[in-house]
Amino acid sequence: MIKITTDEIKIMSQYIHKMSGIALDDQKAYLLEARLNGLAEEQGCASYMELYQKAKTDDSKSLERKILDAVTTNETLFFRDKSPFELVRHKILPELIDRRSAKSSGSMPLSVRIWSAACSTGQEVYSIAIVLKELLPDLKKYNIKLLGTDISDEAVAQASYGQYNKFAIERGLDEGSLRKYFSQVGGNWKIRDDIRAMVLFKKFNLMLPFTGLGKYDIVFCRNVAIYFNLEDKKKLFDKIANILEPDGYLIIGSTEALTGICPRFVPQRHLRSIFYQLK
Amino acid sequence: MGKLKILIVEDDPVTRSLLEKKLKKAAYEVATAKNGEEAVGLVSGSFFDVVLTDLMMPGDVDGVGVLEHVKERNVKTEVILITAYASIENAVEAMKKGASDYLTKPINFDELMLRLDRINTMKSLAKESLDLREAMDVTEKNAGQTIQDLEMVIHRLQHGLSDIKRVLNEGSIETHERIERALGILDRLII
Repeated sequence: MIKITTDEIKIMSQYIHKMSGIALDDQKAYLLEARLNGLAEEQGCASYMELYQKAKTDDSKSLERKILDAVTTNETLFFRDKSPFELVRHKILPELIDRRSAKSSGSMPLSVRIWSAACSTGQEVYSIAIVLKELLPDLKKYNIKLLGTDISDEAVAQASYGQYNKFAIERGLDEGSLRKYFSQVGGNWKIRDDIRAMVLFKKFNLMLPFTGLGKYDIVFCRNVAIYFNLEDKKKLFDKIANILEPDGYLIIGSTEALTGICPRFVPQRHLRSIFYQLK
Repeated sequence: MGKLKILIVEDDPVTRSLLEKKLKKAAYEVATAKNGEEAVGLVSGSFFDVVLTDLMMPGDVDGVGVLEHVKERNVKTEVILITAYASIENAVEAMKKGASDYLTKPINFDELMLRLDRINTMKSLAKESLDLREAMDVTEKNAGQTIQDLEMVIHRLQHGLSDIKRVLNEGSIETHERIERALGILDRLII
């Protein structure tokens, strides 16, 4: 195990923050060592400083991506914490569609645009896709845009492939849904093509400007801002406010709050969940 | 973690009883079936951690049939296939259908015990991670509820405070009236 020095912790933390917005304080130093050790050894580096130098001078950016993949946390589950999906199913989507149908001329399909801002390996987006499929049997009548983005290439690739091992799949997903929406491939489960086809995945860094991203009716940004410092959190939610439709919805993690972070959002309670709308 | 519950499916009586004896001696909980049909019946009735099945068996249900039925019944049951050396390819095909391992005949019991140990370890790890996640979920749920409650309270207070500010700044009303109204808002705000 290559030991990490105090200076290296500082330099690596700054580098990672600049790339991804992930804020690692000194107490998380053990995390850097645990997560970067394998990569340092694989790259034949004797120290983390050497790894840093190598990543900085690598024009292909492939080492930078590997570092990002190593430090990002991919903790996500199908229907993790069921309440946001129940919220979408029972409150947000019906409300949104009612409001939009009242306004529409009838000739154009109603559009529903949903963005999962830190989709990790895709479980959240596929869970949303399943809700849409179950709630709107005549999916063709709608213009659905379902986007999942993540900063980690590896996570996006895995999300896009849509295959999960039994440990990833067993929790959150009941056996009925598992058999209905997945097919078994060896010991793994792969999302069915019709669900897969509903979603577009791409790599996206939440620290960058949101230009060209388009407008959204529902944004999921759960448990990602927890890795950001206060300044970056403020910027992130301000940018989200900018790309949200005036009557759109924001859903954040159940242990997150926007008080003191973004005054443009108003919390709304529905049963045991909270969602946010623009003032 | 308790001992694994294992079902042996083997048409050859000698191999079957030898397996049963060895596994019982290793303190596993063991049931046996002499063919695929019987295995299907047993699996429908109760849960097994591991099904150890011969791949080639006479009758309507062979080893692959048992595998399919077992996985249909409960994906958590691990299936180990026993196969003649000549039919390894079939065993590999079966692994693609979800079997966790295969053994070739004649059965090497040390090898079988190692495989079972490994399944046991995997199951303990899986259970441990499940327990941890469960604990995390409960903690997260409680913390989430508290945070969300606070978020709503703060929102209500902020709203009230800006009402009070507006009332107090109201130039067209007498001072005492303004204070009266502000106090009224405060009264409703503090529960």
